[in-house]
Amino acid sequence: MITFYRFILFACLILLSACSNNEPVKDSQLALMKTTNPKPVIISNKKHSDRVEEIKKDVSSHPELYDVAVVKGKKDTLVVYKVKHLHRFRMKAIEKNVNKMLEEKYPKENFTVSSDYKVFLEAVRLKEHIKSSDFSDQKAEKRFNEIVKMTEDMK
Amino acid sequence: MPSNKQKNTTLQQRNYQQLQQKHEIKRPVLKNCIKAFFVGGLICVIGQAVSYFYIYFFNFTEQSVGNPTVATMVFFSMLLTGFGVYDRLGQFAGAGSAVPVTGFGNAVISAAIEHRTEGFVLGVGGNMFKLAGSVILFGVFSAFVVALIKTLLVMWGVL
Repeated sequence: MITFYRFILFACLILLSACSNNEPVKDSQLALMKTTNPKPVIISNKKHSDRVEEIKKDVSSHPELYDVAVVKGKKDTLVVYKVKHLHRFRMKAIEKNVNKMLEEKYPKENFTVSSDYKVFLEAVRLKEHIKSSDFSDQKAEKRFNEIVKMTEDMK
Repeated sequence: MPSNKQKNTTLQQRNYQQLQQKHEIKRPVLKNCIKAFFVGGLICVIGQAVSYFYIYFFNFTEQSVGNPTVATMVFFSMLLTGFGVYDRLGQFAGAGSAVPVTGFGNAVISAAIEHRTEGFVLGVGGNMFKLAGSVILFGVFSAFVVALIKTLLVMWGVL
């Protein structure tokens, strides 16, 4: 039993040691656990900011969703959201509804819709990278395409 | 009216059964269920933390993170079985520690330890999957059946 207690103590020490850092907490650090509600991001053409805001508002209006991230690249627009826990049984139907609504309302846009936590996390990270000065538009577009490809691999 | 089973027993046997029933310790079913619920839940919370770890630090998506998570949890339980910790947990939590995937690792390693004295090939190799073999067999077979049903439903346009 002493070994068991030692193991528990060791595990607690490892977990607590992660909290000792005094750096400010970034959104992406807790994006998997809490609502971050990131602002929409436009990578190349900044004049579409109103439309991106509108897309986010439209997607957020779904009562089953609670955290929406929108990233607009050159060609694609990435829409990632989190689904409320009890509605996760209907993930496919929700994705279908969101896709249908977006395609009807914005027929000229090419949407990539996902509810994957990893894609959400990467979208938040991308937003933070873009905010920091040493991340060019080219780099951002490259990373954006990688994230979009990640969603395609899941299908 | 006495049942058929009771009819075939003698008076002495019936008296003994009554005495045995009087002294039999009742199983604490509710207590066991609560213990199993919390320990099983705790194992699942650890599993969720492991999957978040893989999503956060590696390139795994929510769909692909299952494989490394299961492998890690089975590996953890194998180590704990080797150190003799998981056995104690099993005594305390019962089904709470046997039903999650960690119970699979425990079944493999405990059988290997038990038959170690019979040698590596016929002892460990031959008996390692004595318990876990049925899990693999029925797991693979039921997965095959479910995949077959899904394929047929997709072919017929139901899904």
